[in-house]
Amino acid sequence: MAQAMRPQMMGARVSRTEDPRLLSGQARFLDDIQVPGMLEVAFVRSTHAAAKIVQMDLREVQQYPGVQAVLTYDDCPVQLWQREAYEVGQPVLAHHEVSYVGQPIAAIIADSRYVAEDAAELARVEYEDLPPVTDMRRAIEENPRRVHAHTPNVFFHKEYATPSVEQAFAQAPHHLRATFRTNRQTALSLEARGTAAMVDTATGRLTVYASTQSPHRLREDISGLLGIPTHQVRLIVPEVGGGFGMKANCYPEDIVVAKAALMCRKPVKWVSDRTESLLSDVHGRDDIHDVEVAFAEDGKIVALRDHLMADGGAYPAYPFSGAVGETSLASRVITGPYDIPHLATVIDCTYSNKMPLGAYRGVWGPVASFIQEGIVDRVARHLGMDPAQVRLRNIIQPHQFPYRNAAGMTYDEGSYQACLQQALELMDYEGFRKRQQELRQQERYVGLGISAFVEPTAMASSEAGSVGYESCTIQIDATGRVTAAFGLGPTGQGHETTMAQILADQLGVRFEDIIVLHGDTDSAPYGGGTGGSRSGPIGGGAALVAGRQMRERLVKYAASLLEAGEEDIELGDGKAWVAGVPERYISIRTIAETAYTNVTKIPEGLPIGLELTARYLPKSPRTFSNGTHIAIVEVDVSTGSVAVTGYGVVNDCGRLINPTIVEGQILGGVAQGIGAALLEALHYDESGQLVTTSLMDYLLPESTDMPRVMMRHLETPSDGEGGIKGMAEGSLIASPAAIANAVSDALAPFDAFVDTLPVTPEMILEMTRGELAR
Amino acid sequence: MKPAVFDYVRVNSLDEAIEALARYEGEAKVLAGGQSLVPLMNFRLSRPGVLVDINDLAEMAGVRDLGHALAIGSMTRHQQLVNNDFIRERLPILPRVASYIGHWAIRNRGTLGGSVAHADPAAELPALLTALQATIVMRSPRGERRLLAERFFLGYYSTRLDWDEIITEIEIPFPASSPGFYEVARRAGDFALVGALAERGTSGGFVTWFGLGGRPERMALPAWTAHEEERRQLLRELAGKLDLPSEEEYKRTIAVSVAGRAMADAEGGN
Ligand SMILES: Cc1cc2nc3c(=O)[nH]c(=O)nc-3n(C[C@H](O)[C@H](O)[C@H](O)COP(=O)(O)OP(=O)(O)OC[C@H]3O[C@@H](n4cnc5c(N)ncnc54)[C@H](O)[C@@H]3O)c2cc1C
Repeated sequence: MAQAMRPQMMGARVSRTEDPRLLSGQARFLDDIQVPGMLEVAFVRSTHAAAKIVQMDLREVQQYPGVQAVLTYDDCPVQLWQREAYEVGQPVLAHHEVSYVGQPIAAIIADSRYVAEDAAELARVEYEDLPPVTDMRRAIEENPRRVHAHTPNVFFHKEYATPSVEQAFAQAPHHLRATFRTNRQTALSLEARGTAAMVDTATGRLTVYASTQSPHRLREDISGLLGIPTHQVRLIVPEVGGGFGMKANCYPEDIVVAKAALMCRKPVKWVSDRTESLLSDVHGRDDIHDVEVAFAEDGKIVALRDHLMADGGAYPAYPFSGAVGETSLASRVITGPYDIPHLATVIDCTYSNKMPLGAYRGVWGPVASFIQEGIVDRVARHLGMDPAQVRLRNIIQPHQFPYRNAAGMTYDEGSYQACLQQALELMDYEGFRKRQQELRQQERYVGLGISAFVEPTAMASSEAGSVGYESCTIQIDATGRVTAAFGLGPTGQGHETTMAQILADQLGVRFEDIIVLHGDTDSAPYGGGTGGSRSGPIGGGAALVAGRQMRERLVKYAASLLEAGEEDIELGDGKAWVAGVPERYISIRTIAETAYTNVTKIPEGLPIGLELTARYLPKSPRTFSNGTHIAIVEVDVSTGSVAVTGYGVVNDCGRLINPTIVEGQILGGVAQGIGAALLEALHYDESGQLVTTSLMDYLLPESTDMPRVMMRHLETPSDGEGGIKGMAEGSLIASPAAIANAVSDALAPFDAFVDTLPVTPEMILEMTRGELAR
Repeated sequence: MKPAVFDYVRVNSLDEAIEALARYEGEAKVLAGGQSLVPLMNFRLSRPGVLVDINDLAEMAGVRDLGHALAIGSMTRHQQLVNNDFIRERLPILPRVASYIGHWAIRNRGTLGGSVAHADPAAELPALLTALQATIVMRSPRGERRLLAERFFLGYYSTRLDWDEIITEIEIPFPASSPGFYEVARRAGDFALVGALAERGTSGGFVTWFGLGGRPERMALPAWTAHEEERRQLLRELAGKLDLPSEEEYKRTIAVSVAGRAMADAEGGN
């Protein structure tokens, strides 16, 4: 076994197995699924934010040539959230009332999407408007009205306080208040959502193709909501072009498409277009925090008060309300990597007449980091201290691990202080401060923003659901080739590479001889899907456990066939040999042949064949990654433009499976952070119309907006299998705060602070009082 | 996001195109590069009954030297404006400004005539044509019509082009001295948030702003100065005259800065 401790593939910069097909356009996404006779769907969506549907006339739609069926609520009387977690569940098609712009009202099933869209225009829906609820603070006070008459707008309220927080506030010499606002965004995956469903006429089983992160959960949702036994539903996930949490939900469209296939007995497909995606993919980040901080003369922060508010939209997204997720987790990690002993939080999540809030990469984190890091900088400026010094003063020290934060969350060991120090060094902090002074003399405004973050990963429950474990089924065929199936739902993370790396080390087979399967509920073992940064640590853990069990079996075979002791067997490069005597070897292929065809030679006590499934449930409910981001920006105070000119990351996600993949994840998160900090905002007007319904208005970062990113890794292993920690969200948790702080730092001569994201040119001009500057 | 039903005609000559527009009596629209029209159709914000595709009209692309001006065919692609050696030599401001339009792929398709007909208030080319007092040449069954850019552009996406007219050519006079240019956009390749062109005259000069209000505005500058503070004061007064919708009020400050930089650029003798 000692040899297993010397992995070759885990930790190596292996090129991604997925990339050739993705880069050459050979990958098959949902819209590539073509079946003869397939019908396509267009939805009639609400154009009103809040209204009674007085009358709906669909006769012309039904008569339009090429239309095969039209579904309304009466055909598909299903409500999401039948499980009574909330008092409100969204009907998959609007029922007498619409509550947000873009809400599906009817589904038109036609020969093609063109026909379906033409017919959709003929739907006559008569609305009687209700006052739209669009302002979060007013909504919390039930103004102008309740979104759902039978239940208060505030659908989630929670209060928490450490015992002596009031006293801590009273005794502290310094206090500051600030309000922070993040605006609505959405994940905007390159591949939009989509679902296709078809009934196998021979068996009666329903096959659903879906662009989702949670194959097994979505199968259960479809089966449960439509009343079909689970084994009669097969869910297949083709290549998925990005999900970012947004594709972890079960959406009304998923259910309606499945129902349409059952009704029409024909294959039915719906693929979201970009406007639908902006209207109807779950939104995120609609939060306001009223914060108060108490601190000592030396910069030590002693207490924090936070009223966390989130606008959850018209319904709790199913099965994960982003408003609850963003606020409740933020309230538990709002002190971030700092040792702040006293805390009081109040949470209010409200309904409104907007698209439901769901998960978007980082969920709570980008909001909480923006606040926590914004506060540290405000404390520093208030005291005339260096922001790096204030961080070093407050950051959790190495000896404090395991550290229990003021909200009761336990952080396992990390490299908080070391990451901060190394990031300062990486970006030549002292040198920057000098340069900044010189440039200010020339009236050029550069700024540096620090964002030290914690990232709870591998959580027992997240937007991916509450399956705390992951499964891996290994099959070695009679030629020694391996397939390994997982319950994961990758959306571009490279699991086919990372899981194969882990298995190659354990099984002693070549990386190329392993194929990783996922996303087909007929072959994948039950699992929780991908979300909440769980696939690396929990999925990877399952690969390790299953790999080890299979390895033990291979060792037994080798020992028996080579007539050696099990403890003397080593595995590698497709062979098993006796330690120190490499010419006494047997190939894995021969072992496999034996296991399937030469069954009399199977060692005592082993089953026929080489197949097994193992599950891995981490013993800790989560493990924390950590790191520090530093952004450097230049603000053109005459035009309000911001350019991110430098960026550095020191990241610790435990044992690295593949540094190249980790770095890709970080780069993507930094890009999304630039979007969050400077560009992306979904904007509803006062009547509740979403006015950002194309990429002309919803601005994504472009390649030219990206700076070069310097990256460094530290590795503090978790106590889980392989020492792996999750890492898919940290970069987006940290980056908006780093950029926001950099802008605040650049604008320090104007005594300005960024308190709203994204920061627009208009806001910058306001902060610099425009013309005063040049 | 699929267009409403439409018919499609591909024409081989300008006469055929004019004849087709007349035949469909306002139901038809010209399809040039499609970079503005096709998205509008996909959003069903534009629903022409017929598209008259003029992409085969090679005679409508290219450059002629008129001595005092360049005549550029309306089907000349933005990227051709950027690349054309002759234009680069005789009217260097044009390729420079055109290179700010969108991205390469868009510039490969989008045309000069399309940009002029579409008349986006934040577009670069209509602003340059206004600044340089270019003439828009149009043809219809009634014959040829010529209009100064300043008269041609009316406001948000609206011009004096009649439904049966086709823009054939744009005549751009050579400026006495090369104008200065500066623009701010949210991202590289976006339409301008605010842009400006500045021409130095014998005493004062002119500033043409775009991205503000409904159309590019060419405004006379009473004096020309290289002194930062004086320049700013002049521009502040000039920008004060701009008629802006309230949500664009903040852009007045940017307009002053941008025009100041365009003036500095003009002095730099780009
Ligand atoms: C992502 C993106 C970014 C862009 N960024 C910019 C930018 O930064 N700056 C900028 O200026 N533009 C930008 N554009 C628009 C681009 O410049 C378009 O090419 C231009 O506005 C229209 O030209 P077109 O040839 O594509 O015209 P089309 O889209 O084919 O037509 C536009 C309109 O003009 C009419 N038309 C076209 N040609 C004629 C003619 N000869 N006579 C009469 N009518 C005619 C059409 O009927 C239609 O109404 C961008 C476009 C995209 C898609």
